[in-house]
Amino acid sequence: MRALCWHGRHEVRVESVPEPKILNPRDAIVRITASAICGSDLHLYGGFVPGMVKGDILGHEFMGEVVELGGGVGNLRVGDRVVVPFPISCGNCFFCSRHLYSLCENSNPNAWMAEKVWGYSPCGIYGYSHLLGGYAGGQAEYVRVPFADVGPLKVPDEVSDEQALFLSDILPTGYMAAENCAIERGDTIAVWGCGPVGLLAISCARVLGAERVIAIDRFPERLRLAALKLGAETIDYSEANVLEALRDLTGGRGPDACIDAVGMEAHAFHNLAYAYDRVKQAMMLESDRPVALREAIMACRSGGTVSVAGVYGGWIDKFPVGAMMNRSLTVRTGQTHVQRYMKPLLARIARGELDPSFIITHRLPLEQAPAAYRMFRDKQDECIKVVLRPQFRT
Amino acid sequence: MPRNPNLMRADRIGYVAGGLALIAWAARRPSLPKALAAGFGAWLLYQAYTGNNPMFRPLGLHVNREPALPDVAETLLVEEAITISRPPAEVYAYFAQPEHLPALADATLDVIRANHAEELAWRALRGEKLLHFGSLEFRDAPGGRGTIVAARLEYVPAGGSLGAVLSRIMGRSPQRMVVDTLRRARALLETGEAPTTTGQPSGRR
Repeated sequence: MRALCWHGRHEVRVESVPEPKILNPRDAIVRITASAICGSDLHLYGGFVPGMVKGDILGHEFMGEVVELGGGVGNLRVGDRVVVPFPISCGNCFFCSRHLYSLCENSNPNAWMAEKVWGYSPCGIYGYSHLLGGYAGGQAEYVRVPFADVGPLKVPDEVSDEQALFLSDILPTGYMAAENCAIERGDTIAVWGCGPVGLLAISCARVLGAERVIAIDRFPERLRLAALKLGAETIDYSEANVLEALRDLTGGRGPDACIDAVGMEAHAFHNLAYAYDRVKQAMMLESDRPVALREAIMACRSGGTVSVAGVYGGWIDKFPVGAMMNRSLTVRTGQTHVQRYMKPLLARIARGELDPSFIITHRLPLEQAPAAYRMFRDKQDECIKVVLRPQFRT
Repeated sequence: MPRNPNLMRADRIGYVAGGLALIAWAARRPSLPKALAAGFGAWLLYQAYTGNNPMFRPLGLHVNREPALPDVAETLLVEEAITISRPPAEVYAYFAQPEHLPALADATLDVIRANHAEELAWRALRGEKLLHFGSLEFRDAPGGRGTIVAARLEYVPAGGSLGAVLSRIMGRSPQRMVVDTLRRARALLETGEAPTTTGQPSGRR
């Protein structure tokens, strides 16, 4: 089959590799019909995530048709159309039974590696480094899905691939980011980053009753989408001082909750700390550039919530712990417990309350994935979200 | 500050030999790098004198001078624990099969104590040679959260504590073996299978 393989920093190739096989009783094999490139794939592409090995197949946002089932999967049939959550979760362990699926204790065969970096290991994730299991990902024609009796969700005919695909990651991620804000009547939510997760977090904050949403980015097409499609107020951080602008927009008190939908590769302008982070990251003295996180903490109203959806990998410097402590901030975060949100969000999509497909800007054959990664990284052609279709031919 | 001795016996001989060798080598044609080597040699001699290497604790090396079996005078001790969301009797029944106990490759296991749902103890032999010995203790996790399995494994490392450090760096230490065995047991008991990627495709040739 054809699959997108990682071969080093800024080098990915579509190659012919063997087809996946059933390895465990609870496995399924899925023929991919749609697979997206995630912003967090760019962290792998840029070489910021440890534990990648040349030849690893990428991709953790995908859906398709079940073509083969292990003997332990009773709830699916060959031919079912399913969307697959990115956390690989057993459904039986301490964490899964508490619906903390991304913390599954039984799905990462390389848990010892993650323990060295993070103390304890979260769940395994498709195509997201050997630290998180080294599982082959879904930017391919076929993928092996472990614990297929727990993760994959059947999609009804009336919901299209493009509407259902983002149930695999970014729609639940945006939803959890908004849910973590514990939104109350009259609340203003500020969102750093108007990439796919930021835009969906804005949508979900609206659904959960936010009075106002303020979107922060620097790409005009993204800010335009946030303003026109989602009714957000916008701040272009390449022009404005974000902290001052937020103070002015919120009557001098700050947003009630702040969502960091940026993560470890943040950018900034006119910011000394940013230059400091770039230098330290380049010298490998700091793994992440927490510009958005610092700003979110400084901006948040006292007693408010900072919700971190952007991915971080290791250690950061100059964390404003004094602001967090003295102003009673709550920080909530985590890899998304996708399985917890899939069914209720599918129901909202089926009822027409949510349609995440508005973020898609590019629909391409799998063979064009390397060019798509480059375009997405460089934000060329107003790229916001790429969906790869293995069945499209070049 | 007096420190408890933590070096193994074989270590002290090695530290004296290594320390003297470094100082002698540095004294022949002194230079700045050689002075640093001589300093390191002196530090080794000092550790041989005090019997204490301050790096053992951060490295997680625990020398035990009161082994559970009298066959050896001192051992390295590995202690690990895991919580499994199944009742103690079921977890015990799994480990009561000797092939499920933590063991180095090619060892023959000899169960020496078996108290139902409470404790298992064994020794591992290769031919006549005692490789290691250990025990598992089973107790109820609080709040009905299943079973806590506490593992203890004692072994005499080839090459003393330096050998133990090297095997840890190589990722093939008895400690990893114990942790992997416990984790595999939890996966099998809770989910019916052990997570794996062996046999999946990749773009590696």
